[in-house]
Amino acid sequence: MVVHICTGLGAHKNIYSAQGWEKNRGNLADRRSGGKHSTTPADNYYLARRRTLQVVVSSLLTEAGFESAEKAAVETLTEMLQSYVSEIGRSAKSYCEHTARTQPTLSDIVVTLVEMGFNVDTLPAYAKRSQRMVITAPPVTNQPVTPKALTAGQNKPHPSHIPSHFPEFPDPHTYIKTPTYREPVSDYQILREKAASQRRDVERALTRFMAKTGETQSLFKDDVSTFPLIAARPFTIPYLTALLPSELEMQQMEETDSSEQDDQTDTENLPLHMSTDDSGAEKENASVLQQNSSLSGSRNGEESLIDNPYLRPVKKPKIRRKK
Amino acid sequence: MNRKKGDKGFESPRPYKLTHQVVCINNINFQRKSVVGYVELTIFPTVANLNRIKLNSKQCRIYRVRVNDLEAAFIYNDPTLEVCHHESKQRNLNYFSNAYAAAVSAVDPDAGNGELCIKVPSELWKHVDELKVLKVHINFSLDQPKGGLHFVVPNIEGSMAERGAHVFSCGYQNSTRFWFPCVDSYSELCTWKLEYTVDAAMVAVSNGDLVETIYTHDMRKKTFHYMLTIPTAASNISLAIGPFEILVDPYMHEVTHFCLPQLLPLLKHTTSYLHEVFEFYEEILTCRYPYSCFKTVFVDEAYVEVAAYASMSIFSTNLLHSAMIIDETPLTRRCLAQALAQQFFGCFISRMSWSDEWVLKGISGYIYGLWMKKTFGVNEYRHWIKKELDQIVVYELKTGGVLLHPIFGGGKEKDNPASHLHFSIKHPHTLSWEYYTMFQCKAHLVMRLIENRISMEFMLQVFNKLLSLASTASSQKFQSHMWSQMLVSTSGFLKSISNVSGKDIQPLIKQWVDQSSVVKFYGSFAFNRKRNVLELEIKQDYTSPGTQKYVGPLKVTVQELDGSFNHTLQIEENSLKHDIPCHSKSRRNKKKKIPLMNGEEVDMDLSAMDADSPLLWIRIDPDMSVLRKVEFEQADFMWQYQLRYERDVVAQEESILALEKFPTPASRLALTDILEQEQCFYRVRMQACFCLAKIANSMVSTWTGPPAMKSLFTRMFCCKSCPNIVKTNNFMNFQSYFLQKTMPVAMALLRDVHNLCPKEVLTFILDLIKYNDNRKNKFSDNYYRAELIDALANSVTPAVSVNNEVRTLDNLNPDVRLILEEITRFLNMEKLLPSYRHTITVSCLKAIRVLQKNGHVPSDPTLFKSYAEYGHFVDIRIAALEAVVDYTKVDRSYEELQWLLNMVQNDPVPYVRHKILNMLTRNPPFTKNMESPLCNEALVDQLWKLMNSGTSHDWRLRCGAVDLYYTLFGLSRPSCLPLPELGLVLNLKEKKAVLNPTIIPESVANNQEPVNNSNNHGQLTGFQSTEEDHLVKEAATGISVHQAGVKRKADMPLGSPLEPGQILEKNEDSKVKLKIRFSNSQEEEEIDMDTVHDSQAFIYHHLNMLERPSTPGKEQSSLELNMLPVLAAPLSAFSKESNSSKHSDHHHHHHHEHKKKKKKHKHKHKHKHKHDSKEKEKDPFTFSNSPASGRSIRSPSLSD
Repeated sequence: MVVHICTGLGAHKNIYSAQGWEKNRGNLADRRSGGKHSTTPADNYYLARRRTLQVVVSSLLTEAGFESAEKAAVETLTEMLQSYVSEIGRSAKSYCEHTARTQPTLSDIVVTLVEMGFNVDTLPAYAKRSQRMVITAPPVTNQPVTPKALTAGQNKPHPSHIPSHFPEFPDPHTYIKTPTYREPVSDYQILREKAASQRRDVERALTRFMAKTGETQSLFKDDVSTFPLIAARPFTIPYLTALLPSELEMQQMEETDSSEQDDQTDTENLPLHMSTDDSGAEKENASVLQQNSSLSGSRNGEESLIDNPYLRPVKKPKIRRKK
Repeated sequence: MNRKKGDKGFESPRPYKLTHQVVCINNINFQRKSVVGYVELTIFPTVANLNRIKLNSKQCRIYRVRVNDLEAAFIYNDPTLEVCHHESKQRNLNYFSNAYAAAVSAVDPDAGNGELCIKVPSELWKHVDELKVLKVHINFSLDQPKGGLHFVVPNIEGSMAERGAHVFSCGYQNSTRFWFPCVDSYSELCTWKLEYTVDAAMVAVSNGDLVETIYTHDMRKKTFHYMLTIPTAASNISLAIGPFEILVDPYMHEVTHFCLPQLLPLLKHTTSYLHEVFEFYEEILTCRYPYSCFKTVFVDEAYVEVAAYASMSIFSTNLLHSAMIIDETPLTRRCLAQALAQQFFGCFISRMSWSDEWVLKGISGYIYGLWMKKTFGVNEYRHWIKKELDQIVVYELKTGGVLLHPIFGGGKEKDNPASHLHFSIKHPHTLSWEYYTMFQCKAHLVMRLIENRISMEFMLQVFNKLLSLASTASSQKFQSHMWSQMLVSTSGFLKSISNVSGKDIQPLIKQWVDQSSVVKFYGSFAFNRKRNVLELEIKQDYTSPGTQKYVGPLKVTVQELDGSFNHTLQIEENSLKHDIPCHSKSRRNKKKKIPLMNGEEVDMDLSAMDADSPLLWIRIDPDMSVLRKVEFEQADFMWQYQLRYERDVVAQEESILALEKFPTPASRLALTDILEQEQCFYRVRMQACFCLAKIANSMVSTWTGPPAMKSLFTRMFCCKSCPNIVKTNNFMNFQSYFLQKTMPVAMALLRDVHNLCPKEVLTFILDLIKYNDNRKNKFSDNYYRAELIDALANSVTPAVSVNNEVRTLDNLNPDVRLILEEITRFLNMEKLLPSYRHTITVSCLKAIRVLQKNGHVPSDPTLFKSYAEYGHFVDIRIAALEAVVDYTKVDRSYEELQWLLNMVQNDPVPYVRHKILNMLTRNPPFTKNMESPLCNEALVDQLWKLMNSGTSHDWRLRCGAVDLYYTLFGLSRPSCLPLPELGLVLNLKEKKAVLNPTIIPESVANNQEPVNNSNNHGQLTGFQSTEEDHLVKEAATGISVHQAGVKRKADMPLGSPLEPGQILEKNEDSKVKLKIRFSNSQEEEEIDMDTVHDSQAFIYHHLNMLERPSTPGKEQSSLELNMLPVLAAPLSAFSKESNSSKHSDHHHHHHHEHKKKKKKHKHKHKHKHKHDSKEKEKDPFTFSNSPASGRSIRSPSLSD
């Protein structure tokens, strides 16, 4: 038996997180405001950036002549600034990708700014204003590594025909199948037992349920519950249920057909008495049968050519001749 | 005069010849179950003065009859509607059987009779005299037919087509008259034009070629036009209409299959084999299939599994199966092959008369056997032959014989061939169904005997000759008078055998065909060492009923050490002992292989055998070339050798049967070895299982080791590592599949010293059920699971009950609790996941009945009754009904018996009705010699009514009722009835049961009828007016029983067993009577006896008395016995004369008058006696009458 472990979900997640980076950040910001209990490296990273932005906002406010500001106001402005910068980044990235590049150029930024309604021409002048404050660069912290839920093995490197900017392969555990083997023979008995009793339990529970919910008959007059028999109900067309294979059987038939009796994977199960020629012969028969059926199938295709009176079209009534 | 003896030409019993018939059914109403249509028969008179045309018609309402566009008067009279009339107090079966046979005779088309008598309009007489063509046009309708046509209309929403409603023709033997007027005889051939107008969503399937299908003007219906240009008997015409799915056979495009909606995949699989059967028959018969097309229709609620008609067959839909079903496959293929064999012999080639039926059944059965041999192998074939032989032997020994070729007539009443039976074998319609089944079985066995005599090559040549003659004839025009070549007769068949083979098979025919019964041999032997001779003694029992003496060659095979030797002994009158020289001396020391019959040489362990004798085993009649039962005595080791080393499956089966009487370790070993031997035929191995179980039970105190077969089963079917768990199912090897199914069933029959099923066995079976796993199997395991339930049922032993306590759950045996648990689960699972044909439900019901019967579960029929209701699958119903029948017997329940009989009358499915009677007959609630509270007058009356009038729409059912009546009450008056008048007579009757006389004279009369009819031409002027009256009434009221009874009076004499001369006279009588009748019949049922007295009843009466001289005791009390010599003398003279004077009308008259006088004379005599003996005479008197005259019996003494 083969166990397939395949969680498409994992791969999906990666993509999601790459794309939703900004959003993640926002969430993190929210989370941080919720409580400062957690100080993971990632949090620290974002906190540092946020702080830098706050400093920027504050200095700009000072530049504008404010002496003090409410914390809430500063936060709001910081948020706005962050959004603005993020939007520039996002938009620029889009423009760059639109022209099939991976690295944004200056022109991408310019177009973005224009698009956002910003007069680019004013920028150099603004940058060179005299009263501007210089703030220190944010501390250099490493971008946090996204924690990997399960790192099993090494991600496969891209083959040569895939450009390196394409996303990496997902973690191996998401697509690798691992063959597992049935327990040794001593377990066969247990499995069979289990299967048998499970099936019996299910059947019993099911029939009991049916009996409880419907009409029943009983073999003992004094007791109707110990051996409840579902009441016999006549059918309107009794032969249909009696002759047509049940869906379960149909399904089974398809399964066994496709696997050709599966060669009975466990050797334990091979009929001992059956000599190999025997089974060979049977197989041959089976294949002959199949051929036959395919033959008939193909013949069926020709049926339109067959002249059988029952297949002929029904004639329109003639104009009645006088009797 | 006796047409059966006419070698070449076939003399029609009718004064006309039918050439063409049109059947047009223009309206079929499924809601009302009615049919409206007309027929038109084209007939050529063969005698100048044809004035009446008799046709067959039952239950049809006839509106109008026209002959050459002139309105014609007609009488519709069916004496079989009510066989004996209600005023009769007669309740004995002898009386009924005679009456019934006479009633059937009276309308028998083979005797030129019919229910419908059409008067040729006088304007046409001249036309007729010139023998010009007549066209008889009959408008008829059928309303809610009870027989002949069967409607299946499921009660659900939707249009009829969506509901799967369908209708089809059905019946036993010639039953076409039930659905349209015709000459319902197998010997009257004509061409056909058949038209059916049906709903546009439906298909009408019928005989011959579908010429075209045309919409009606409103486009809501379409008309199917069929032409059948091969002359065919009306009895071979059939019809099926329904919303069928159509499948053109992929191998043979002229073959079309039809099934009900949704079943197409099953149909495809089921019929995928048919072309091979075609090829086989065409090859061996070197003759193409005679019809230009073939149709198979699978219908629900079929009357029989297979019904063959000209160019089509109607099958039960329950024969359809998918590729997953193992057990049904060979059965269905057999049915297909049977149907096809009957297409050649039975449909295409028809029979001249009922007594030639055996040829057709024999040939079709024989070629079907050849097909079996080719398809399933020689082993299966021989097994089948043996089974059939055993069956016929058992039946004949039980009932006293099956006669293939009954010859009637000739006036020798003593030779009544069926005197041992409680029914007449003169007509197919009076036969017990079981008898007919056995008849077919014997027919093909006899064909095989003929083959043994003349070789298969010649046999096939004969068939080919018959077929080529017939096909030449079939393409001829009617005017060439060749059509009778398509009819086979016994003499014609024998003639062509002697022409082709040059051999005389007359002795064989005489022994097996002209004579009933089988041979019973007892064999034993002694080995004479000095002479080195085997002294074989073969005795015969030819005195018991059903046995006959065999004289002739008999093959004996002796297996000796040096080989197998065949000896042909001449069985003669007095020689019982036969000395057979042995070839080998008893020298066992030399290690040498022993040659077998088939040339194979084998090593044997000879230590078991008698040191002095070289004999290994002996077989008597190994090829089954005599219809016999052999009881042979040989030592147990010989049987064991025979089982192990004889290669013939029949020998193996015989030895298994014999070994049951030798419960020894050696037998055990021999059986076990056979079980394990894969080369051995699987049926032999299956049989060995049961034998082993029996032996084990007999050896129970000395048995060592695990229960029989357990270790074997474990080795073959269980896992190696865990022997208590069965492998997952794999049924690819059918032989082991069958063995796997059978072994648990046989094992469950094992009993320990306490006569209980060993706990070990029960656990074993429960484990098989528990671990049964079919998920990987290509085939369905429903039959296997069903047999496991059967095994559970087999393991049940009677409950130990302390002073009749009531069965409740608390005192339930723990083993039984386990069994019940399984049964409950299986039965409930069936509701959710039904198995194929509900085999599991069937087994569960049987098992529950076993538990009830053994006192573990309270005996109660309620459950079975609910499963027996209409709407369950037929197999379930039959199983449930069987349980109810058994309950009725065990608990002597009057209520259930009533319930069953009620179902016999009212159930919608004919097969179920038939089956209930059949099961009641096999497992009767009481028998004739038994005291039972059930046996009372009401029941007698009820059953009497059932067979007398309640079952007139179905021959098979009526005969079933007769069988039941016979089983319950015997031939004579039921013992539970008060015995007023007839003590004396009864005794006489008992004696007389050997001779059943009444039948013979009738055939003479009947054969002559056509002649009489023609003679009557001018004499019937008075007839017409009466008929006109009649017609009016008929149209107004339809055909009530009452009227039929009335009408019957008119017709009665025609069909009654009389000499030709008398018939003339009687016709006149009847005219008189009719008039009388019509004057007062409306007010009163009773006829004015005084009036009728002279004119008919009495004469009639005494005629009968006269005609039955050889059956004295039967109708006469001892007081009358002295009259016999007087009576007998004139008659014998008379009958001779009447034969010779056939052609002379004048003579007849004269004769008749003469006789009449005598009768009157006699009558007086009798009258006197009657007064003397008072009441006692009533019954014998009535009885003496021809049964057909049942109405006219009312002699003064009776009408008192």
